[in-house]
Amino acid sequence: MRIRANTAIGGTLVALLLGAAVTGAFWTPFDPLRINLRARLQAPSSLHWLGTDEFGRDVLSRIMVGAGASVIIALVTVLLAVAAGMVIGCAAGYIRGWADRIIMAVNDALLAFPGILLALAVMIVVGANKVGLILALGLAYIPSVVRVVRGTVLSIREKEYVEASRVIGNSEAYSMLRHVMPNAIAPVAVLATSMFGWVLLAESALSFLGLGVPPPAPTWGNMLAASRPFMETAAWLSIAPGLCIALTLLGINLLGDSLRDRLDPRMAHG
Amino acid sequence: MRRRRPSPAWAVGVAALALLAMLGKAGAETLLRTRLNADIRSTDPGTNRDANTDGVIGHVVEGLVAFRDDTSIGPMLADSWTVSNEGRTYTFRLRQGVKFHNGATMTADDVVWSLKRWLDPATQWRCLSEFSASGIARIEKIEAPDPQTVAITLDQPTALFLPTLARPDCGQTAIIHRDSVGPDGKWIAPVGTGPFKLAEWKRGQYVDIIRFDGYVSRSEPRTGYTGAKDVKVDRVRFNVIPDSSAAKAGLLSGSLDVIMSLSTPDLEGLRSQPGVQLSITPGLALTGILFQTGDPLLKDVRIRRAIALSIDTPQIVDAVMEGTARANNSALPIGSPFYGEVQSHGYQQNLVEAKKLLAQAGYHGQPIKMITNKRYTYVFDSAMLVQAMAQAVGINIEIEVLDWATQLDRYNRGDYQSMAFTYSARLDPSLSFEMLTGPKASQPRKVWDNPEGQEMLRQSMMIDDTAKRQALFDEMHRRFIADVPMIVLFNNSELTALRKNIKGYAGWLYPQPRFWGVAVQ
Amino acid sequence: MLGYLARRLAMTIPTLLLVAIAVFALVRLIPGDPVQVMLGDAADPAQAAQLRAQLGLDQPIPMQFVHWIAKLAAGDFGHSITNNLAVLPLILDRFQVSAVIVLVAVAAAACIAVPAGLVAAWKQNSLLDLSVVGGATLLLSIPSFWLGLLLLLLFGLKLKWLPVIGYVPFAENFWQAATFIVLPIATLTMVEIGVLTRMARAASIEVLRLEYVTHARAKGVPEWRVLARHVLPNAFAPTWTLIGLVLGHLLGGIAVIETVFTLPGLGRLLVDSIFARDYPVVQGCLLFTAVIYVVVNLIVDLCYPLFDPRVTIA
Repeated sequence: MRIRANTAIGGTLVALLLGAAVTGAFWTPFDPLRINLRARLQAPSSLHWLGTDEFGRDVLSRIMVGAGASVIIALVTVLLAVAAGMVIGCAAGYIRGWADRIIMAVNDALLAFPGILLALAVMIVVGANKVGLILALGLAYIPSVVRVVRGTVLSIREKEYVEASRVIGNSEAYSMLRHVMPNAIAPVAVLATSMFGWVLLAESALSFLGLGVPPPAPTWGNMLAASRPFMETAAWLSIAPGLCIALTLLGINLLGDSLRDRLDPRMAHG
Repeated sequence: MRRRRPSPAWAVGVAALALLAMLGKAGAETLLRTRLNADIRSTDPGTNRDANTDGVIGHVVEGLVAFRDDTSIGPMLADSWTVSNEGRTYTFRLRQGVKFHNGATMTADDVVWSLKRWLDPATQWRCLSEFSASGIARIEKIEAPDPQTVAITLDQPTALFLPTLARPDCGQTAIIHRDSVGPDGKWIAPVGTGPFKLAEWKRGQYVDIIRFDGYVSRSEPRTGYTGAKDVKVDRVRFNVIPDSSAAKAGLLSGSLDVIMSLSTPDLEGLRSQPGVQLSITPGLALTGILFQTGDPLLKDVRIRRAIALSIDTPQIVDAVMEGTARANNSALPIGSPFYGEVQSHGYQQNLVEAKKLLAQAGYHGQPIKMITNKRYTYVFDSAMLVQAMAQAVGINIEIEVLDWATQLDRYNRGDYQSMAFTYSARLDPSLSFEMLTGPKASQPRKVWDNPEGQEMLRQSMMIDDTAKRQALFDEMHRRFIADVPMIVLFNNSELTALRKNIKGYAGWLYPQPRFWGVAVQ
Repeated sequence: MLGYLARRLAMTIPTLLLVAIAVFALVRLIPGDPVQVMLGDAADPAQAAQLRAQLGLDQPIPMQFVHWIAKLAAGDFGHSITNNLAVLPLILDRFQVSAVIVLVAVAAAACIAVPAGLVAAWKQNSLLDLSVVGGATLLLSIPSFWLGLLLLLLFGLKLKWLPVIGYVPFAENFWQAATFIVLPIATLTMVEIGVLTRMARAASIEVLRLEYVTHARAKGVPEWRVLARHVLPNAFAPTWTLIGLVLGHLLGGIAVIETVFTLPGLGRLLVDSIFARDYPVVQGCLLFTAVIYVVVNLIVDLCYPLFDPRVTIA
């Protein structure tokens, strides 16, 4: 019952997000980048459903295009963090010994930084653009993945069936790929869904602190950050992207819950 | 406080307590509360400083001369001066009866001591280099022939001697008492002659200045950093509030009386507020688009010119500054006494001509990177609009947002194709050109590398004759416009919002507040 | 116990050394330098060089690192480039602000979240459960600074119940101080309730399935006693670990909330210092947050047996 509600609501929200992103890639009501100084800060109307911003650009069009940008950034960042985290985590958990200790010391050192501030500093170094953002946030989230993967690997590698695989002559690498990795996927998938949400949040927080995806290309984060001075006079500017982020996160979190329930009904860790 | 709505009982209790506390204080002193967007760096004038520091310290210390409202030089601690020895010796007649904050009376001895301290490299005075071989002139001699007279001899005549002494970022070359430093020469706190004394500096939170009761005001009306300084409040508190929205909210809720340096988006919400008044003053700072004339693509003046012709400067300025500033393509600020008919001729939008120039230059959509930042909304917005307008003639500008420190680094190294940039106020027309003009080989930060321009600039710094200087600035303007090393867009306005009960506040060309003559009603 | 403590402390040393190296390298990698920020658009090269020499920034970077570490070992974090304040007192001063907000917010969140999670787990799949989980997920999904701004607009500007700006230390005026940090605490609490409720619920479900709970129920122990005595303490243990993680991270990471509410906290100090390229402060802050993170997690681990009788520290 609950699982279905999760999946249904979460699925709908995420489908809406993807729908907006895909539509936005091909068609928007207005050119999201076209500046029209005669139509600045117009309240929502039948022409501009979500109003216009301080440059007279159509907010709905920007939200649609921004959806695509935000999804791609979040997706690539998560993939990067997961891929790197899986490899490093598996290596650490499997090789053990000195390599493990060094990897985990570095990992703990990275974990000891507040992620958002680490990302901020990295972004100043790499540059405030999509690539910089993905690298910065990816780097900030790799340690969490490493931790989860290594933990799983450590607990599984001594299990009988892995032992058995080795005994029947399979190579270490094969046993690892065949038996250890699949077990790490469930917790990582759950972590990845949460991470997707974190990236969306972090992207807007970084824009808010002054560094994000450079305009004029819209993302929800830089739209929300840019709306700040107009909160009282043009509330729609901040409500639209704020709500979009919140609803997407809600959808992702709900889907994450149902994914977790399905992958491992017993495993109910947050 | 009076219009409080019903709230939980404890909040009412807190309010009552706070109200009592306020009433208790209200009888004792009048307090003016204003805002700094960052903490001051030190209390040592003109050394470890920034604009915020200058703004606070400008209330506490004074120099021999000071800028008037129109950026001309007026007497401050000196009552008058004469120039002799072919423009090399300045003899200042000091004001009588000027008191330091510790009660001591200022004499020529204090002036000589202060000046020599500034010229000591150990003081690390910001403007020391101006008086070195590479600066405007070297100071050869400082003498005090009698207790009311100080004579300063330079190694060459210069038009910039007094303006440099008066520069707020030089700490107005403040005359301070010896007690400002310890026996080891280390800075303690300013014992100056200003109408306010420094009271308390709670780092990261606020700086308080209090009325100096022993202050004897000049008699002429308030002008710039000189004239009458009649203090009408007991205490001014500069609260450190980095966030501009929070500062605005503070003004609206009544916990701040004055906020300076507003950004234009803030203006929108404040205009309609009943309890708030606005003070909008044209300023001297300058915002524009810089080009790297050494860039393989932008070294072609036709492309630079095409960008200049593709944009509608008045429309950009109107949108970016919300009608608070005027378009200006000249390096001289509109408020300058040297800004005339010649300077009003800049670039006229001409899309046909722009396209023709691009075709001649063989431009076919190569990307041009434009750096900007989010620290200054108007810089950011200017870049956005220039990008959009240039696109209409097929110029492909890519915006790159950097943090301010990174952008400064690129600026200083000349490492950019183009950037939207803002220059702080320069109080003399020669200095307005000096910040732009110079050989890139030795000064990579300079945008305008034109030997003839440099020669004219050098002359303008030596000559004291107004008409001759005007002729030089007019010619420099024409060449500057023809070379298009940058597109000047506008001079920033100083936007200040005050609560309605604040009377007597006036902004001026220089973007710093003055809280003398200001009353809380 | 003491042996464990010693081992744990020894383990943190390489971590912290790595942190120090990373911090130092990161700070030098950032383009621009404090001198340029100080001089702005009028940076005369001679003047800039003089300032750099004075700040020791003209020395080779490895030398600068050695100097820094040597001073650190003596407990000297150096002085801020921006305002020449000693870094450690500055950090401690700002840290108080962040610490009060984070500790109160996380404690308040835990007080609400743990019972809520427990009840939701107990009534798993009921409408109550659904609304608790839904509410928690919703709270989790709202960007914290957006929520902060909305609260600021509502309570500060529209209702005028609370002051909008400023900060008064608790030592100066308790009640006034409280009015300034109510909103940031509320914002942070709401966000953390989302995280902690879900954790507490998940942990409680796990415990409710265990045999001894069934056993206790079978013995006829009243349901409230089962929950209070058997489920709550055990379900609290994993939540406690999460609280540790959250605390450790938040102490350095509430820069955004501090920006919204203009509080002079550690996160704000760090962000400002990064933008001003105030190397000693950035280094000091990052190292300090790392130490706090390590210490908080150590304390959490040491306290773990208090909540989970199954675990003993050898």
